[in-house]
Amino acid sequence: MTIDVLIFGAASRAAGTDRVPVTVGDSPTTEHIAAALAEQHPALRFAVFAAHSPNSAPHAARLAVNHAFAPPGTIVHAHDEVALITLVSGG
Amino acid sequence: MNIFTHILTGPITPDAHAAVLAAHAPHIASLQNDGSVGALLRFDGIVRRAEPSTADPSAHHDLLALDYQTYDPMAQRELDALAHRVATRYALYSLIALHSRGRVHVGEVSFVLQVAAPHRAEALAAMTDFIDDLKRDVPIWKHPVWAK
Repeated sequence: MTIDVLIFGAASRAAGTDRVPVTVGDSPTTEHIAAALAEQHPALRFAVFAAHSPNSAPHAARLAVNHAFAPPGTIVHAHDEVALITLVSGG
Repeated sequence: MNIFTHILTGPITPDAHAAVLAAHAPHIASLQNDGSVGALLRFDGIVRRAEPSTADPSAHHDLLALDYQTYDPMAQRELDALAHRVATRYALYSLIALHSRGRVHVGEVSFVLQVAAPHRAEALAAMTDFIDDLKRDVPIWKHPVWAK
């Protein structure tokens, strides 16, 4: 299946778009999507590997699913909204 | 516990700031008058002219503005969740946080945080924790707009 991943900040500028498609197998986890992002969109590798969560495996991207940070192992469905949350910089 | 968070478009002008604070002033004043509040702190985040260059962090360039990009509505939800976590952790009486989205020029305010607490130590620690966690957990990105 193909899932569009929303991207922001430096990732968005590097890719020249605000969303990218990733092709993954059925019932992918967020880790599968992160790996597919890095493999299928080399321009985003820096963002995927920099965006790891302290609560997830090393180098796992921090993904949000339906506007909430996804715990490790979260299964993503076809109509979920998925976003890559890179290092943020508010304030 | 009095908690209010809001992301607004453009700079946090004195009028916008005053309107929010005025709406919450009676609650804070009552806590102050009854002797509960020992510390009331406010932090204003202002866009500075000199920012490190993204290409060379050791060099500084003049900014015209910062463009704040937010992932809505997650940014508002995370800002609110963060406010509740910090207010609970430090037993605050009140926490008000305002953040900008869109363009904020040099000299304008893009972030306001006000806390009321029983003691100075909790108020100062809450300010620091809130800002540190904001930069980690709230999906807001800033993009420099350089002066020509």
